[in-house]
Amino acid sequence: MKDYANPYKPEIATIEDTWQETSGDRAIRTFKVVLDDDAARENWAHRPGQCAMIGILGVGESMISISSSPTEEGYLRFSVMRAGKVTQALHELEAGDKMTVRGPYGNSFPVDEWKGKNILTIGGGIGQAPLRPIIEYVKANRGDYEGLELIYGARTSEDLCFKDEFKAMEGREDVKYHLSIDIEEEGWEYYVGFVPSLLMDVNPSPENTIAITCGPPVMINFVLQNLKELNFTDEQVYTTLENRMKCGIGKCGRCNVAHLYVCKDGPVFSYATLKSIPEAFA
Amino acid sequence: MERMKLGKEKLGDFFAKLGNKQIYAPQKVGETLRFAPVAPEDELDLEFSNTTVPPKSVLFPQTETLYRYDLGSTDLNLPEDEVERVLFGVRPCDARAMSIVDHLFSWDFDDPYYLSKREKTTIIGLACLEPEVNCFCTSVGGGPASTEGLDLLFTDLGEAFLLQPLTEKGEKLCREAEDVLEQATGEEGASAEKLQQAAAEKIVRGVETNGIAEKLPKIWDSPLWQDVSEACLGCGTCTFLCPTCYCFDIQDEAEGLEGRRCRVWDSCMFSEYTLHASGHNPRPTVRERTRNRVNHKYSYFVEKFGIIACVGCGRCINLCPVNIDILNILSEVIKEEAI
Amino acid sequence: MVDLEKLRTVAKETISRDDIKYLIGWRQGTYGFRVSPCFVREPGEAEQLIYSPLCTNNLASYLIAMDKPPLPRGEKPDTRKVAVMVKGCDSRAVVQQMAEKGLEREELYIIGCPCEGVLDLKKVEAKFPHLLDPVTVQWNKDKIIFQLPEGAEEVPREEVLAQECLSCRDPNPVLADIMLGEEVQVWGNGEYQDVQEMEAKSVEERWSFWEDRFSSCIRCYSCRNVCPMCYCEDCVLDRLNPTWVYRSSNISENTAYHLARAFHLAGRCVECGECERVCPVDIPIMKLNKKLAKEVEEKYEFRPGLDPEAKPLQSSYRPDDKEDFIL
Repeated sequence: MKDYANPYKPEIATIEDTWQETSGDRAIRTFKVVLDDDAARENWAHRPGQCAMIGILGVGESMISISSSPTEEGYLRFSVMRAGKVTQALHELEAGDKMTVRGPYGNSFPVDEWKGKNILTIGGGIGQAPLRPIIEYVKANRGDYEGLELIYGARTSEDLCFKDEFKAMEGREDVKYHLSIDIEEEGWEYYVGFVPSLLMDVNPSPENTIAITCGPPVMINFVLQNLKELNFTDEQVYTTLENRMKCGIGKCGRCNVAHLYVCKDGPVFSYATLKSIPEAFA
Repeated sequence: MERMKLGKEKLGDFFAKLGNKQIYAPQKVGETLRFAPVAPEDELDLEFSNTTVPPKSVLFPQTETLYRYDLGSTDLNLPEDEVERVLFGVRPCDARAMSIVDHLFSWDFDDPYYLSKREKTTIIGLACLEPEVNCFCTSVGGGPASTEGLDLLFTDLGEAFLLQPLTEKGEKLCREAEDVLEQATGEEGASAEKLQQAAAEKIVRGVETNGIAEKLPKIWDSPLWQDVSEACLGCGTCTFLCPTCYCFDIQDEAEGLEGRRCRVWDSCMFSEYTLHASGHNPRPTVRERTRNRVNHKYSYFVEKFGIIACVGCGRCINLCPVNIDILNILSEVIKEEAI
Repeated sequence: MVDLEKLRTVAKETISRDDIKYLIGWRQGTYGFRVSPCFVREPGEAEQLIYSPLCTNNLASYLIAMDKPPLPRGEKPDTRKVAVMVKGCDSRAVVQQMAEKGLEREELYIIGCPCEGVLDLKKVEAKFPHLLDPVTVQWNKDKIIFQLPEGAEEVPREEVLAQECLSCRDPNPVLADIMLGEEVQVWGNGEYQDVQEMEAKSVEERWSFWEDRFSSCIRCYSCRNVCPMCYCEDCVLDRLNPTWVYRSSNISENTAYHLARAFHLAGRCVECGECERVCPVDIPIMKLNKKLAKEVEEKYEFRPGLDPEAKPLQSSYRPDDKEDFIL
């Protein structure tokens, strides 16, 4: 045992800050955490799109995308939706509490390949959390990329994440964003409708553009259809998949989508890879 | 190293020579034949076809502590396992299964729990001379005397065993026991080979597995998956007793401020296996799960590691309560028109 | 004795009806003494149906389907009846499922098959090993006839029948739309012999017995998944939030699992013995279930699955229920 590194062993991290992003029964809570061990903190290096197993000793672990870009130094951000046993326990944590972190795992957005291109993100609900790292990365390396356009929607204005960050982008020349909510609300000035129809409304050009989408499976399916209608090729469209995960390192078997393991071969996949795999859209 | 011979009456002496290695052999535990620790002087009944629970239960136990924790401290207590083991009486199919599972447990990340046990274990096989009705090792690249995954192979010649050392570990064991071993004659070697060949000819069932890995993705939506899986009760027996199945769940067991994180066997045939916390299940019925299981063993594993993740031991056929038969499923796959 | 011709004719007629979705029955398996449940949808498929001591499976498990696939949009569920072949214990399972409001009588077309006991495959395969070609087996009063390749062989029933069947009190289906064959004799006497043997042992002996048996449990959940009465969509033993029983295999968790399941089956177990049949590590699960069945019968004069109008035991009471063991 001593001769092998133990990939199941997590690091302990302290929560520097935490706040409720949204409330309700699918509440979302954001955590800013710092790894306790000096060496672990210094050696940590992740790329936009990767995930980590976070959790609580005695409760369990959940695979959550690292919502901060590596350009945001000194902390890691996670946005967690309350759904099951572990996420429920995570929602009880406050600043100063400990959590376990294991990672980073998975592949990442091919940020080098995308230099010089327009980046278009299309998110729904909690799906904006895995998209945030690429958005922040592009903002931090703005000169390397052409256009940056964000399309984001949720059921109601209460369910929109990162509202303060969108507000901070108001008036910026180098980022465009479009928000939507599903149903009419008093005081809402933006689009009303589902994200796929907002996409058609924005009518982005596929010329030199990469589109990345993440959100509920139903939304992704319609967005993919619409992107095709807008003449995006399969290689221009990316998504991040999720699945139930336990080990995060490709051993326990459960996260497979056909021969691909979401924890190792993903979570980032181009539509070109997924279109021949029926299980990817189950 | 030369082939050796061990008189059957000296088997206990052979074990005694193995020092303080823990020896596991097929034993009746209750009514069930499975691998259990034995002492050198214990009586062994080697008239068996195969154990119900495969020897994977020794290297990859049903329950294994990953680490213990104490919320008062920041250290995690990793288990120490420096025990040296000898598995005796392993059938060649089960040994092949271990070399297949090795791929997974050393893919990119090393699984220290499995690999350190594997390193410290010497596997002694017992060639199959009387294959069972549902044995089909020869259809998946194995055989009743296959040496893959084994350190030492015993063949029963009647009055004595013929020993073939296959690896350094196997040779080391033979050297440790050289006082009770004799050199085997050329005739004895030839006699063992004849018995092994005769055994291969006794296998009555099989299926052509060439091309199955490529065929399977082409029949993803075929109605045959509904037909072959309809009787399935999702009981989990096939996966738990399969020597190449290795899926596990991780659970935390808390007792106040202390506890442990452990892993336990899991099954892709259970409906909770892929159940998301949101309630969505990408494999909602036995149809999708059966299709995934067959595809995993005969196609996805081939794509990833170049080998079929099935050794033809026949346990899933023998133990399935509703007689869902993998050989039947595969012959349907072969007959089906590809799209 | 059920005539195969009659069985197949009835099956063909049944499946040809407009109001029947499919028929669940048994067909010969892929080798030796095996049998597989099958779903017949076309009259032509009825030829494969058989009925003999080989037909161990309790088909009532398929009536309360545990996973229902999500319907494609616009498609309505198929609400036609399901035809099912049932032996005595199987029919009790159906009746109990109806009593618990899991099933409606109108959903079913029950084909009753009087049963003189099914085989214990472990005993039979030990007696007649290495058989590949399918074997035909018949009941013959106190003997079972095996049509082996080398000729017919008669064996006394106690040597080859499942343990449960030797003490069976309900060989004739209690509810059916049509019966295939005459009523058969009842072999069991309701004395709970096995249970009495255990009760005669001391607490230490009993605990040592069960400690040994529960330790070998590999928590495969086959016993629960095969049971016709275990149909909860959200089984308490699978729950994570809170986790009542951990999945790890050790004497504490395994005992909790088996005892919890036994108590959830008290007053509901129809004594079909499937749980014990499928256990890969030979845990004598029926001993637990029979003990509770004996308690239920003695204290409440109740046996489940015999009266579709009877209220479920654990969710009802009678003012004259005995209380001497509570107070």
